[in-house]
Amino acid sequence: MQEQENNSSPTGFNRRDFISNAASFSALMALMGGVPLHAEVATNAPAGAPSTGYSTVSAPLNFGVIGCGPWGREVLQTLALLPNAPVVAVCDSYEPMLRRATAAAPKAQSFTDYSQLLASKDVQGVVVATPTHLHREIVEAALAAGKHVYCEAPLANTAEDARAIARAAKAAVKVNFQAGLQMRSDPQRHFLLPFIRSGAAGTNVMARSQWHKKESWRRPASNPERELAVNWRLNSATSLGLIGENVIHQLDMIRWLANTKPVAVSGWGSILGWKDGRDVADTIQAVFEFPDGFNYSADASLANSFDSSYEILYGTFSAVMMRVTVEDGSKAWLFKEVDSPLLGWEVYARKEQFYKETGIALIANASKLPPAPKPGEPRPPQPTPLQHSLANFISNSGIVGKGIEDFIANYGADDLDGMREYITGPTITSSRRSAAGWQEGLEATLTVIQANDAIRKGHGHRVVFEKGSLEL
Amino acid sequence: MKMNKKTFPSRLASLGVFGAAALAALTTSAADTVHYKSRVGSKVTITGTSTIHNWTMDSQIIGGSMDVPVGVEFDQTKAALNGATGGKIPMRVEANIPVASLKNGHWEGMDEVMQQAMHAAEHPQIVFRLSEITLKEPHAAGTPFQFDAKGDLVVNGVTNAITMPVSIESVSPVKLKVVGKKPLKMTDFKVQPPVKASVFKAGDDITIDFEWVVGRPAAAK
Repeated sequence: MQEQENNSSPTGFNRRDFISNAASFSALMALMGGVPLHAEVATNAPAGAPSTGYSTVSAPLNFGVIGCGPWGREVLQTLALLPNAPVVAVCDSYEPMLRRATAAAPKAQSFTDYSQLLASKDVQGVVVATPTHLHREIVEAALAAGKHVYCEAPLANTAEDARAIARAAKAAVKVNFQAGLQMRSDPQRHFLLPFIRSGAAGTNVMARSQWHKKESWRRPASNPERELAVNWRLNSATSLGLIGENVIHQLDMIRWLANTKPVAVSGWGSILGWKDGRDVADTIQAVFEFPDGFNYSADASLANSFDSSYEILYGTFSAVMMRVTVEDGSKAWLFKEVDSPLLGWEVYARKEQFYKETGIALIANASKLPPAPKPGEPRPPQPTPLQHSLANFISNSGIVGKGIEDFIANYGADDLDGMREYITGPTITSSRRSAAGWQEGLEATLTVIQANDAIRKGHGHRVVFEKGSLEL
Repeated sequence: MKMNKKTFPSRLASLGVFGAAALAALTTSAADTVHYKSRVGSKVTITGTSTIHNWTMDSQIIGGSMDVPVGVEFDQTKAALNGATGGKIPMRVEANIPVASLKNGHWEGMDEVMQQAMHAAEHPQIVFRLSEITLKEPHAAGTPFQFDAKGDLVVNGVTNAITMPVSIESVSPVKLKVVGKKPLKMTDFKVQPPVKASVFKAGDDITIDFEWVVGRPAAAK
């Protein structure tokens, strides 16, 4: 029922507009022959058409945000964009961080002890945005306190902690647990899923991703204690490095879209751009081997920013490129081979919205195009994957919470097996919005933990994923 | 059989409604009846139409209770229904379906839309209260007993008297399954069928299918 209002004319995006925006990446890809693939459900509704005006927005969820560093504040800013995400509490052990968080959420109670936040009855769900190595204790306590939990990915920096979190989440039938693999909630990627899995891009040949950004990751610290706390990403004892903090999302997407699991990984890692005493590589490469000869190579660097980040899945008929940009949000392009058959994928693409040149926009469904910005006008902000992910967390937490309430009111609280069966059964499951659960979070985390082992050993060290090594 | 809707969200409040309804409608004393309560295994489906295609809302929760006169045994292996006199059975039945438990599962946002259409915040339950149930005869042994059930159906806070065919059968020594189906119009209950511009328009006609499982304590047998 996601619908994008559209009152544009059929020619709302013409060649002139296209050329004027040619600096944008989407236009560049279009010039290169890429067919943009949009996820938005389009409408042909004329302006002023009658509507009952029912909202599809889920019931509000009162949030507590634990961990108010830069990412925690990004979470706070994103929650502020949602109409149903009041932040009632924030927590950070470091007062200056807490003050900055309170500025972002002025109505929230502030705590320096997360257990006090969890004791608040006002808090229904928490986002755990602390450093990775601190997740376990907080997540377990939050689940025990009956709070819905959104735990950032990776779940933990050790297999033991990741499994402990997964076990606690699995056992907590009365609450919703979501792993922060936010691309799993991105409608653009869900649009691609049937496209790729149906074989429209052909047989998967290989995949590649990059995450490039010129930044040190180092943050100022006033004393050695703060140094350990704020620069935890630079310390191998607490950090999984680039593979854990960034590539995990790309890896998860490739695995999910290709519908396969890796069997081995080889890694390389070096400190080349930031020789400042850190022991976590600032530049890494990893090659994941999948069954049937399909490999995925990932590289990431803090020492070079060229071409930012993206993922490409190469098939025998076409390549699909995916990336998230500030101006366009999540987007994908299809590059077909000259010998690719004129079959489903092309027909499918033509039925979707295009944000491209006139030749494509003027086809049968051109009226589905979203309004084009006037020359010189800024593009409207696009929802980020994090925004989609948190919105789905709110919805799913409401479904689980209300489902448990209804179950207990009508069948009693004693039948825990029946309760679990109901909450995990088809009626509730099919109504939940797309999100990564404990299982997806665990698999991705265990994968990058072992990949990080390969990277730290370097020189192409190969780690085989033993049977059960990616499972609870 | 009746689908009974609680008009108050708390269990305590619903017990109050239960008590009030019992005072008004009880035709047999508690000592003369066997009390059956809702059990896991129930399910309800609401089917509707739209300008796009048909839609459904499913729930696995039907709450409420059923009081059956002592001596009435729904043993469908027998041709006769023991305890039924004159075709009518003095049963007291209240059943309820939490509106929020109805799930579409296909269209994101449909659940929220239907909850608003039924004003779930003010009227969180669909309720049925039985007023009369009559056995259809003859009954073929080995098949569920068939009845005509009359009662009040409350949706969106609007009460309408309805009649519908239901069947009752024993599914275990202590459990009964009540099955029914009833076509309805949303507007009869002042539920405005959802419309989204010219893209989506829900039809007024819906059908409710339900299977309600109720049970009694084994010791009370």
